[in-house]
Amino acid sequence: MYAIQLANRYLTSRIIPLIAVGAVALCVALVVIVVSVMSGFLDMLKSSGRTLMGDVVINYPVRGMPWYDDLVREIETMPEAAAASPLVDTYGLLRMPYPQGADKEVVTANVWGIEPASFERVTDYSTTLYWKPPASEADAAAMAVDDPRLQLNSQHEKNGLSLTQAGTNEPGMVMGMHVSIVNERQRDGTYRSRYGWFMPDQQVTLTLVPISGKGTVAEPRERLFPVVNEFRSGVYQIDKNRVLIPLAEAQRLLRLDQGTLYDMEAPPNADGSQPVLGVSPPRVHRILARAKPGITADALRAAVEIAYERFFEKEMADGTRVVKPPRRDLISILTWEQHLRDLIGPVEKEREMMRILFSIVYLVCAGLVLSIFWAIVQEKSRDIGILRSIGASRTAVLWIFLQYGLVIGAVGGAIGVGLGWLVICNINSIHDAIGADAPPWTWMAAFGMGSLSLVMALRGSFRGILLPTLLWLVTAMTLGLVGCGLLAHRGTLIWDPAVYYFSSIPSQIDWLTAGITWIGAVVFSVLGASVPAAKAADIDPVRALRYE
Amino acid sequence: MNEPLLIQARALHKTYRLGKVDVPVLRGADFSMRPGEWVAILGSSGSGKSTLLHLLGLLEEADSTSGEMWFEGKPVSGLHGAARNHYRNQCVGFVFQFYHLLPELNVLENALLPCKISAGLGWPAARSAARARTMDLLHRFGLSDRLLHRPRELSGGERQRVAIARALANQPRLLLADEPTGNLDARTGGEILDRIASLHRDGLSIAMVTHDPAVAARADRIVHLIDGVVQG
Ligand SMILES: Nc1ncnc2c1ncn2[C@@H]1O[C@H](COP(=O)(O)OP(=O)(O)OP(=O)(O)O)[C@@H](O)[C@H]1O
Ligand SMILES: [Mg+2]
Repeated sequence: MYAIQLANRYLTSRIIPLIAVGAVALCVALVVIVVSVMSGFLDMLKSSGRTLMGDVVINYPVRGMPWYDDLVREIETMPEAAAASPLVDTYGLLRMPYPQGADKEVVTANVWGIEPASFERVTDYSTTLYWKPPASEADAAAMAVDDPRLQLNSQHEKNGLSLTQAGTNEPGMVMGMHVSIVNERQRDGTYRSRYGWFMPDQQVTLTLVPISGKGTVAEPRERLFPVVNEFRSGVYQIDKNRVLIPLAEAQRLLRLDQGTLYDMEAPPNADGSQPVLGVSPPRVHRILARAKPGITADALRAAVEIAYERFFEKEMADGTRVVKPPRRDLISILTWEQHLRDLIGPVEKEREMMRILFSIVYLVCAGLVLSIFWAIVQEKSRDIGILRSIGASRTAVLWIFLQYGLVIGAVGGAIGVGLGWLVICNINSIHDAIGADAPPWTWMAAFGMGSLSLVMALRGSFRGILLPTLLWLVTAMTLGLVGCGLLAHRGTLIWDPAVYYFSSIPSQIDWLTAGITWIGAVVFSVLGASVPAAKAADIDPVRALRYE
Repeated sequence: MNEPLLIQARALHKTYRLGKVDVPVLRGADFSMRPGEWVAILGSSGSGKSTLLHLLGLLEEADSTSGEMWFEGKPVSGLHGAARNHYRNQCVGFVFQFYHLLPELNVLENALLPCKISAGLGWPAARSAARARTMDLLHRFGLSDRLLHRPRELSGGERQRVAIARALANQPRLLLADEPTGNLDARTGGEILDRIASLHRDGLSIAMVTHDPAVAARADRIVHLIDGVVQG
């Protein structure tokens, strides 16, 4: 009881513990902010990875998987699978409609041939389509008045979902938002057209290079596609690179479509052609599968393994089919997480780095508390002697200082979590504020307060008191520097979407991390306090009391 | 002489070690008091008066090989840990030359400390009784209107009165006073002695260290500490 009272008095009767609380708070806030942003980033990466790829991917690149319809059907019979969709994945050249004149811009693109209906079932692709009218009155009201989407009807959306241009019935292309240069991103994350171009009114020429069965490059094929819509996945690298076209078109351009299989070894027929062996079916490079709700990607992966085994056995047994699917060891079946390893791995490593930083921050907390308490114990050794002389036990003395540490850790940690939460909630506006020039009132205020401090410092020096003079002088100088910094500050975009994958900073606080950090701050503050506390308990009362 | 002794110490030795040199301070000191007695311990500076008092209060341990001590007939020289703390808290009360109040606590809180220590977690239950008793004591010492003051706001005499109130908070049988007037002017010191004398009249046993013969004269009995041995 008296231990609490004394700890409380020692805490509130001096400044140093407040500084300790502040320092612990800052350490905790730092960790909470950094790890929350990293975790949010990782979550965004993973969830967008999932919306982009489904849960499980079967890969058989270049040559392509034959009889994929059967495989898709086989997968969809698995109870774990919600849907599966075939996919052609290749690279091609896009001739853009701009600039004016003959020399059009050409860019490389990652081309996905998809079946829109099943692709939608696997990936929620429709949510990424950008050019669509606002879904509700409220959405419309939330948009900026000059947002071009307010002028749209649902035609672009329908075209995007079917990958065909209504009216002409031509197969259409949906491009990533940043494939062309005409979409200019605004600070609020919406887009305006640059130079008067609007991609969904344009046509682009796509050139693909087929690879023959022998692995050689065949004659490139090209086709003019009307752009029907654009998508925004939020992952910059993908929005910058990927275009979607109908699967059949992609197969045709890559010569993965159905063909006749000739026997090249046999002697030619009378008309000079080779004898026919059978049909070569259309092929795809990938099959994406999505798990039913509640099923993990790993569980689905196991199911897909079984599905592939069954599919493979059926195909091998089917005598009418000349072309056989690849053996299991030639394909890969991966969860989206494994598939996006390259993307996710480094971020996870970075987060681990942060976790290591954690421990250093904890050590800072512990060291801080330790040194402050050491000084207090030193100063309070006489009090400790007094307490012992009137019957206080060593554990009681120990307890006073442990409690002291507990309070500093708990309060500092709580303030830190609160601070971190505030920053995280407003991180995008803070970022925008940093990204913009400092408004004049900020540096004016800094200079104003700086001059005031200078006046106080002068007053102090006239009165001949040193410490306040010095403090005011330091304050004045700091405020002056801050003012100069604000004045010189020119907007810098820290979170450049070209460097990071996402267009906005994750603003979700990671409560688990916040909780663990808080507990860590408490534990390490108590640990830091335990050394001086032990020293306090070991104080010889007589020695402490003997002299004034 | 049939009455059992309040405290009895036999052949106490205390040696301080300064580097490689042993400094013997007490060399077989005997000391005893009857209940209700006021004994003054006189001696020159450095003779070991404080050391003896600390040994009697179990604040310090005598040399391991040396004598024995009894309090109210019970041996206390072998006590350890919690029992020693209990002895300091309940059986004796210390008053020091330099008051030794806790600066962060006010007068009432300082005086209540021993009760809080003995009550432990039971303090909420013990609180009102202890408070009433301590307020009474402080009132008797003329401190009623200073209850919420911090020690630094008090005069030396007032601080010593608070210290005595604290020493008596748990109603110990024996008050151990180490030059309680040593830091006070003659008038204030005399006033403090008057209060101690009045406590003595109420039955309190007092062992008081001093090197001032005038102060010692007010005691029932005077002993001298010379060459580490109690004489007289
Ligand atoms: N911790 C210690 N280490 C070494 N020597 C000590 C220690 N404590 C006390 N002494 C020595 O023991 C001797 C007796 O000390 P003590 O304080 O008991 O004397 P005293 O009679 O109370 O003196 P004073 O009248 O000045 O208070 C002194 O010479 C002192 O220097
Ligand atoms: Mg002394």
